[in-house]
Amino acid sequence: MVLFSFFLVLLILVSLSMGYIHIPMSDIIQILYGKFSSSLSLPENTHETYLAVIFDVRLPRILTCAVVGAALAVAGALFQGILLNPLADPYTLGVSAGAAFGASIAILLNLSAAFVSVPVFAFTGACATLFLVMFLSYSAKNPSLSLSSNNLILSGIIVAAILSAGISFLKFIANEQVSVIIFWLMGSFASKTWIDFLAVLIFLILGLFISLFFARDLNLISLGAKSATSLGVDLKKVTIILLVTGSMLAAICVSVSGIIGFVGLLVPHTVRFITGPDNRKLIPLSMLAGAFLLLFADTITRAVLPHEIPIGVLTALTGGPVFCWIFKRNRFK
Amino acid sequence: MKLTLHNIAFAYDQADIIQNISCSFVSGNFYSIIGPNGSGKTTLLDLLSGFLTPGRGHIGLDEKLILSLSKKEISKIIALVSQDYIINFPFRVKDVVMMGRHPYIPRFAHPSDKDMKKVDSMMKICGIYNLSDRKINELSGGERQRCVFARALCQDTPVLLLDEAFSNMDINHTLQMLRLVKRSVKEKNRLVISVFHDLNLASTWSDELLMLKKGKIIAFGNSQDILTQQTIKEVFDVDAIIEFNEHAQAKQVYYPSI
Repeated sequence: MVLFSFFLVLLILVSLSMGYIHIPMSDIIQILYGKFSSSLSLPENTHETYLAVIFDVRLPRILTCAVVGAALAVAGALFQGILLNPLADPYTLGVSAGAAFGASIAILLNLSAAFVSVPVFAFTGACATLFLVMFLSYSAKNPSLSLSSNNLILSGIIVAAILSAGISFLKFIANEQVSVIIFWLMGSFASKTWIDFLAVLIFLILGLFISLFFARDLNLISLGAKSATSLGVDLKKVTIILLVTGSMLAAICVSVSGIIGFVGLLVPHTVRFITGPDNRKLIPLSMLAGAFLLLFADTITRAVLPHEIPIGVLTALTGGPVFCWIFKRNRFK
Repeated sequence: MKLTLHNIAFAYDQADIIQNISCSFVSGNFYSIIGPNGSGKTTLLDLLSGFLTPGRGHIGLDEKLILSLSKKEISKIIALVSQDYIINFPFRVKDVVMMGRHPYIPRFAHPSDKDMKKVDSMMKICGIYNLSDRKINELSGGERQRCVFARALCQDTPVLLLDEAFSNMDINHTLQMLRLVKRSVKEKNRLVISVFHDLNLASTWSDELLMLKKGKIIAFGNSQDILTQQTIKEVFDVDAIIEFNEHAQAKQVYYPSI
């Protein structure tokens, strides 16, 4: 845990120094130290541009990327626990399709003039989808089937399929905006601001607190509905709280950075090989690992590759082979 | 301790599963519920454990109503060995058994020495101590059932509900578990209600039998009085011969060959 945090901080520093303008590590530490101790006695030789690059461009992007990775991984761990399904990810309930649909509408109607409206529409779309899916799979009469794994996954797939068709239709009538929609859907951290970072951070802190509070109940839920209930878990309450928490985390991430797959699916899965299935350890460690992986991928696309390629593509390309290796080694032991 | 059902009815949509059942179960007795598939045996246990809410009527636990208690309070009074013993995630056996102590361990706290000792002793009693570091999803059906059994015993409750808890165990382990349960009924004044498919085990080990068919009680009372050719014919539609057996010290059922 401590080791992971250390690596994450190190990666943030390395990432800060990399980019179009290379900034030496010693300068970064001095600048950061100077800023936080609020004594403005920066060394004489510090470039004005260094300050601007670090605080207006790189740091917001890097931190947003890290919290999004963290939030997606926590959401993934929650969904895999509630749905008792290692194939579940933060988008299982159709949150991404809902967000994409909302964002497409905003782009199509050219509401992006106001600049905030795309994320706001995306978030609204995600929330509406979540409640529709939960409504479809809820039954007051039959607690063993109500909000059960199969019902939630099925409802999520159905709603997502309808929304995808809707997105295709929007793209079809969008004419020149179609490329904007496609690029938004692929996800990017380019030109993220401090506001993006703070929005995700607030959700992440709340989400993490709630998930840790119910982490033990989540362990018990994996024993099955009846066993969990007989061990004192209020199944309906805990399921709804955690589904909403996970989906809200996913919704804010999608709204800020577009659809980034893979992190939420494979990070908790991989971390489970290290920590075991106990959610009290799995959730915090997944959070750190998710932040690390996504920042790593974003740094490569931003600073190493000659051209920025969509972050979602890169997470799968970098994380996928690692996962294959771990999977093959552990699964058949 | 006394569990009482008053005019309980339960239905999924149109299908009535339990129809107007009234009866009571008293501490210090081993009850068995027998009946054909779909007769409502499991549903009855689910109602007693508070997992399902009756459509009509109410269930009393001494002077209180089951539904007025929180899930947490119920978990300290009633333990259930259910049929969902398939666990998808690779928890270790000792972690699963420790989950039986969770009603007593506050959130964010570590298990106490007492909890650890309880878990160890229950694993020894159920014969799974040598499996304690194995992963639950790698065990056989019977071994998993013993883990779930040990977990329920760790809950340390005055009431124990068993839903075909022995269905995958070999006869040796089945008898060990039954001896254990029976002893706790007599020595600790526990109340045990068990769903059985094996009529001979039910007859040998239980004090009272409850025969259920299509959600109604056909017979309820002392197991040696109730187990007759007529009741078996009525409940299961099987022509059986029933005789007292010296070795089992109870009535045993013999089935026709055709």
